[in-house]
Amino acid sequence: MSIGISPYRVDASGKVTGAALFPGDLTRPQLLHAKVLFSNQPHARMVRMDTRAAEAVPGVIAIFTAADVPVNEYGLTMFDQPVLVGVNANGRSPVPSDVSRWEGDQVAIIVAETEAAAAAARERINIEWEQLPLLPDIDTAVRDEILLHPEHPAQSNRYHHYKIRKGDMAAGWAAADVIVEGEYHLPNQEHAYLQPEAALSYVDEQGRVTVEIAGQWTHEDQAQIAHALDLPPEQVRVIYPAIGGAFGGREDMSLQIVMALATWKLHQRGEMRPIRCIWSREESIIGHHKRHRARAKTRWGATKEGKITAVEAEVYMDAGAYNYTTNKVMGNFHLTVGGPYEIPNAHIDSYAVYTNSVPGGAFRGFGAPQGCFVAESQMNKLAEALGMNPVALRLKNCYRENSIGITQTPLPAGVSLPQVIEACAAKAGWQVAGGKWQVAGEESPNLAVSSPPISQSPISNLQSPFQSLPPNPATLRFGRGFACAYKNIGYSFGFPERCEATIELYGAGSVERVVLKHSAAEVGQGTHTALRQMAATAVGVPLEIVELVMSDTAVTGDSGSVSASRMTWMAGNAIQLAAAAAKQEWTDEDRPAIGHARFTPPATEPLNPETGHSTPNFAYGYVAECVDLAVDIETGHIHLLRVVCADDVGKAINPRLIEGQVEGGVVQALGYAVTEELVVRDGRVLNPRFSTYLIPGVRDIPDAVESVILEIPDPRGPWGVRGMAEMPFIPLAPAIAAALHDATGVWFNEIPLTPGKVAAKLRDA
Amino acid sequence: MIPGEFDYHSPRTLQEAVGLLQQHGDGAKIVAGGQSLIPAMRFRLALPEVLIDINTIDGLEYIREDDGHLMIGALTRESDLEESALVQQKYHLLADAARVIADPVVRNRATVGGNLAHADPANDHPAVMLAYNAELIALGPHGTRAIPIDDFFVDLFENALADNEILTEIRIPTPGPGSGGAYYKVERKVGDYAISATAVQLTMNGNTCTAARIGLTNVSAVPMRATGAEQALIGKPITNEVLEAAGQAAATECDPSPDLRGSVAYKRDLTRVVTKRAIRQAVERAQGG
Repeated sequence: MSIGISPYRVDASGKVTGAALFPGDLTRPQLLHAKVLFSNQPHARMVRMDTRAAEAVPGVIAIFTAADVPVNEYGLTMFDQPVLVGVNANGRSPVPSDVSRWEGDQVAIIVAETEAAAAAARERINIEWEQLPLLPDIDTAVRDEILLHPEHPAQSNRYHHYKIRKGDMAAGWAAADVIVEGEYHLPNQEHAYLQPEAALSYVDEQGRVTVEIAGQWTHEDQAQIAHALDLPPEQVRVIYPAIGGAFGGREDMSLQIVMALATWKLHQRGEMRPIRCIWSREESIIGHHKRHRARAKTRWGATKEGKITAVEAEVYMDAGAYNYTTNKVMGNFHLTVGGPYEIPNAHIDSYAVYTNSVPGGAFRGFGAPQGCFVAESQMNKLAEALGMNPVALRLKNCYRENSIGITQTPLPAGVSLPQVIEACAAKAGWQVAGGKWQVAGEESPNLAVSSPPISQSPISNLQSPFQSLPPNPATLRFGRGFACAYKNIGYSFGFPERCEATIELYGAGSVERVVLKHSAAEVGQGTHTALRQMAATAVGVPLEIVELVMSDTAVTGDSGSVSASRMTWMAGNAIQLAAAAAKQEWTDEDRPAIGHARFTPPATEPLNPETGHSTPNFAYGYVAECVDLAVDIETGHIHLLRVVCADDVGKAINPRLIEGQVEGGVVQALGYAVTEELVVRDGRVLNPRFSTYLIPGVRDIPDAVESVILEIPDPRGPWGVRGMAEMPFIPLAPAIAAALHDATGVWFNEIPLTPGKVAAKLRDA
Repeated sequence: MIPGEFDYHSPRTLQEAVGLLQQHGDGAKIVAGGQSLIPAMRFRLALPEVLIDINTIDGLEYIREDDGHLMIGALTRESDLEESALVQQKYHLLADAARVIADPVVRNRATVGGNLAHADPANDHPAVMLAYNAELIALGPHGTRAIPIDDFFVDLFENALADNEILTEIRIPTPGPGSGGAYYKVERKVGDYAISATAVQLTMNGNTCTAARIGLTNVSAVPMRATGAEQALIGKPITNEVLEAAGQAAATECDPSPDLRGSVAYKRDLTRVVTKRAIRQAVERAQGG
């Protein structure tokens, strides 16, 4: 068996030595260089555009604008965004092309002999804009004084609405002994991948317009390019070289379409030279979507025994200028805002709103981090109001096998949340005694609420990484917080789900060489390594003889995206089918024996528009986290001492990669909860660089992150696998908020918990 | 972004560097570690016509004691300061600061002289040298002169050096008996500029403070001393009330701007907190703690 072990990553040596080529490293002879011009207009209509002065810059080859795009629209779930904003579009898209709805709308791509010439030309494009009323935020946009998307059938900026109508709310409130409420605010988050967007494009030897780029789904990139260029998909080729991180930030288009457009148009003029474009960090942060900022008002009721009786919630998500995947992300927020709990009576409304802000889109957790922050904060407030241990309260309400979910259908089989909660609590120092969760070794039932002692270093030794000297011991407070979460694995709400794999067996008497052909994008998570391990196991050969051919639409089948924690689960199933087919061919004495499979999981359904009734997902992952922290109440600084993360992965294909995902997810979530603050004012991102947008560095991370890897099989997962890559991110922010409350007695309903905000709130409390 | 075009020189001697400065006037900029200048050039906030790279000049990197002073060559890297046994043993304020200037990678390149000459109130050395009452040695066409630190910071990013002068050395008076110092800095994340920081160097006689100088980081447009806080200490026994009065004085006399690091109210309060903590630590060290 080649699974359950941790061989080195297949890409390790290339990435350590520098041999691995990322998109910005790629080159070809006679290379041309491109620059993209952003509108820099949060809301304005283009009146005219003059490119003559730019075209006169020495070395400029061509400038392409909206007038050059065959079908000037794109979008992952709906076509609501022009490829290029500008005048004189051909009218084949219903989306008005002449309006910039966001500062990052692209208006031109300039191709030149050198980067400097392209940059100089970019500054000489003259555009006249007519300013339109600005809709910088949800409150302004919902007044509908101007529609950002008059072509949208909703005829409102509040363009998307999901509901949950379950049970009898009046009965739910009547049965409640305690009610807790809150209004929560969640911020944007930047993906902050190491590699800014870059692409190399050319027409290949078979006449296909080819883009080598970092993305998350080769075939979707191919489809979006083909749609906009009005080409058959097979005329478009997408190849992924090494990718420097993604986290959802590469699900939507950045340079894909414009680079293909420029290449194709030049090709038609007889210009065959390849083109490369590399975005700066500023261009990357301005030019791609973010985790959605959002808010939620909610009210929960429970009996004094701790059973939840009712949940009411109203959710607003700022979609920004375009939908991207907002409708799907909001579906996840909608499913998670009541937490992973059995709720007899629920009334939930979720709204997506178009604004002139940076679009919200996919980002690790995909709506669940926002929903989880609301739900778990409510749960921790309930525990306080009831005087109950937060672990015990969760076990009393959490989903278990055969639970009916918030959408009024049973959860997919294999619900392991109770075990996950227990494993996390036990590792953090709780235990069950006399039927109650309490501190290990403590017998008094009165201590059911209390936490185990925090494993703090002697205070004099506590070196805060944020301060030049040890903090004042008199102003330090210590706290512990708990949170748990569930998250779907795979596409939801009826979105077509599939994954293809091809396995080729070479040899004569015995299999000497195995080739796996697959499109899974290696974004750093280690999927190529895991897929190779699964292929070796499925065929029954040593790992060393399995070769990979990956992520090239010309030779690999549609895998779907690396997103939704789905790839190991989906690809594993496809690999098992392909291996079985190949082995059958081998038995039939075909050489090479080639097995191809297209795996489809059980179908899912969209939410019923009136009640939310549906089977939204086919699989879930479960996670729980416990945070110990120290807070300096004078400076407002938070330092994480210990994070315990229990994650049911079903089957750990590669345990070391899983620990990497846990630690990476925790650190990224620490940034979300504490250090990162995207400042968006009047539709403009004001801190598009890492000197002012602060991701945690190596000195800022928790003192300890302890992974508890559970292997409770998912009945439908290959070898029992569940997806896991998003899960460690999701509960950290509410666990930190709970620990901060434990330390200070103050609830924080808003993140990020930057020192200034924490200190101010503590002073006011 | 791509910097503007510039001419580049790498002189071998200080005299050659001064000659170049004389030749090019205020169109020339000296680059040492480049940790502030290069980003400013990338953003085109600085557009020097001529760059004079002094990394090729020998003999400007040293830390040594002489004649009652610590002498630091202007080209000394922050990491050398951080690793210096002499600094760790006798110059606690400087040692505190050296550990928290930017991050380790930056400290490998960044220089003490550059940190001061940039005259940025967000940098750490200005407050430190104000507290130490340091002297800065400048070389010009007519020889050297010593500039008291109190006269060095003229305005935001403006120092007292003439266009044809170059900073060569920093001299810190060796602390006498009964003295102690500390730098208390609070930052949002490791490597960021201070939200607020306080540098204290003081002398104690028993429990009475007989001398004190206090510098503040990143809470004013020009690097500043907290003279009100100094006065709150000098001649007084160190009690909680005196500490609080000194902290309050610093909070009142600083002049922070609101930005991503926090509101004015938070920065003032944090200045109170870090000033108290720095004084307390300096007193403990002065008393042999």
